[in-house]
Amino acid sequence: MKTRSIPYFYVSPAFLILGLVVILPFLYNLVLSFSNMNLTHFRDWDFVGFKQYGKVFSEQIFYIVLLKTFIWTAVNVVFHVGFGVMLALILNTNIRFKNFWRIILILPWAVPQMITALTWRGMFNYQYGAVNLIIKKIDGFLQGIFGIFSTADVGNIIEPVAWLSGEATAFIACIITNVWLGFPFMMIVALGALQSIPKSLYEATSIDGASKFQQFRHITIPFLKPVMMPAIVLGVIWTFNNLNVMWLVSNGGNPSDKTHILVSFVYKAVFNHYRYGYAAALSLVIFLILLAIGWTMLKKTNAAKGVAE
Amino acid sequence: MQPAGREVLQSALDEFMTENPEIICEQLYFETEELRSNFQISVLGGSGPDLVYGPADQVGPFVTMELIHPLDSFYNDDFLAVFVEASKVRYNGNLYLLGDRVGNHLTLVYNRDILENPPQNTDELLAMSNQYSVDLDGDGMIDQFTLVFNYIEPFFAIPFLGGFGGWVMNDENQPILNTPEMTNGMAFLAKLKTENVIPRECDYDIANSLFKEGKAAMIINGSWSWGGYLDAEMNIGLAKIPKVSQTGKWPTPMVSALGYSININSTEKRLENSIKLLEFLLQSEIQLRFTEKLNTIPSHKTALKNPQFQTGMLKASADQMSVGKPMPVVPEMRAIWDAMRPHYQAVLNGSLTPKEATEKMQTDAEKKITEMYE
Repeated sequence: MKTRSIPYFYVSPAFLILGLVVILPFLYNLVLSFSNMNLTHFRDWDFVGFKQYGKVFSEQIFYIVLLKTFIWTAVNVVFHVGFGVMLALILNTNIRFKNFWRIILILPWAVPQMITALTWRGMFNYQYGAVNLIIKKIDGFLQGIFGIFSTADVGNIIEPVAWLSGEATAFIACIITNVWLGFPFMMIVALGALQSIPKSLYEATSIDGASKFQQFRHITIPFLKPVMMPAIVLGVIWTFNNLNVMWLVSNGGNPSDKTHILVSFVYKAVFNHYRYGYAAALSLVIFLILLAIGWTMLKKTNAAKGVAE
Repeated sequence: MQPAGREVLQSALDEFMTENPEIICEQLYFETEELRSNFQISVLGGSGPDLVYGPADQVGPFVTMELIHPLDSFYNDDFLAVFVEASKVRYNGNLYLLGDRVGNHLTLVYNRDILENPPQNTDELLAMSNQYSVDLDGDGMIDQFTLVFNYIEPFFAIPFLGGFGGWVMNDENQPILNTPEMTNGMAFLAKLKTENVIPRECDYDIANSLFKEGKAAMIINGSWSWGGYLDAEMNIGLAKIPKVSQTGKWPTPMVSALGYSININSTEKRLENSIKLLEFLLQSEIQLRFTEKLNTIPSHKTALKNPQFQTGMLKASADQMSVGKPMPVVPEMRAIWDAMRPHYQAVLNGSLTPKEATEKMQTDAEKKITEMYE
């Protein structure tokens, strides 16, 4: 009995902190989701049952923002994993200056998210942003080439984009920023997995006449999968809940409050509109969506299974 | 509060602590939005700073949420009489904020190296685009603009909307955003963009950078920004935002006080100390120290008698303030800002007509106000 109680004693501080910073706020949020807490009922709120949940599901905006959140998450994670694995494969070869490339590629992850997001916001400015300046340079180059074959004025071949003024382009700008921020994590995870694959497997299969593609399909992917799957689950949860990038690049949902994912929408409901009860209900809905996604992914992919199981 | 202002405040706090060694004061800075949310949460949790400093429009939400003390019973009439009326922010008949400065309003700032005389009316302003919105490097895009301002935030549109005779709410605190005057104001703002008077995209930082880099002849900005322009050794002048030619009215920037309120959780000895500190911070001499650093207009009548307010930039600022209108402090204002912002932006990026936008603003504002109170 005494031996059994020692581990509990050791982990009790962690459980205590977890209880205070996660479980207690979660329960408080749950309580608030059944309340009418808002500007006028801030200190004297009452229970109103499922009214706030009813409001969440009856408003069209919820479904629009939910769809955007799914698109945001899917596109980001696909690019994070795609670029991450591709770069890891390159870094796992005998390229020159490997350490230099590794440091350069980790940099987007090392810079604080807030700084990166604001920098990208500046880069997307129509007039002075680096993105449009590059587009203008490319346009000038293309005009030069086409001009050789034509005597008439070629005109602009590609136009600068008003990234932050349009609903779709602002959303794309946020995605580009988050792809930039997210691929190094996947790259590092994939690189770790690649380095753990025994070289002898490649040597043996190449003696047996396997092509590079066959080696990739039958050795690399199976070894990458158990490591990448938990990282992808994490990536989905982080991206789904990534307030910073969406909020900072779109400057709080601009243009026209159209650039939102669920978390930024909740943030606005609480801190701009003082709708505490409504936002608590919506955040519980977000939690349940994420729980369902995470649970399904873990079950389907066996991502939480131990190596020895 | 700007960094320079925080330095002045810290020196005042140090003095106060020297005079009152039993009291320890700590200054904590947050941006306006962060301050509001953090203050709400900390007061709800039974704590929070004893004094909270910010713009007058935070009074409405703070009072509705029961976060601050009414100040009437803490200060007698003789004490309050030395401050200008605009600095005493009341809500539902009670005093909740005592301002150490008034104004916080937008003014036209122009770069004297580019522009000799600022426009007197909006027709002149529009005509200036031919001369001052120009492509300097010949790449087909305009590099220097006639005017810049943050047109993400409707706060910066208010002067022109007011100049067309529009306003955000009536005396019953209900939104009046879909009036013909507001629509005309919106149409004018859209015209500023189509006529290339202002850039295609412009938030606060970009407007400020363009002006500081000499790529904009004029900027509409508040008193908090002038110190930065002077520090950058810019040759600037201040003028009233040009009169609206169509109506003959002056644009009406929102005018408000910036000042202190006392946390509802501040009681007994802490409350006593807070009242004492607030009295200390509102002294004429301390207000003038802020003026020296930030070109602010003090709320203390004695400070206002200082000769520096009769000439130069401070006089121009006071002139602009004289045609401004008080910023509503009721919580409904937040809903109105949020309702205006997206549709105002939509007008400027061409996806809504001014008429459609003002109709949507009104509908959204009514909906948001209902949501706030339900």
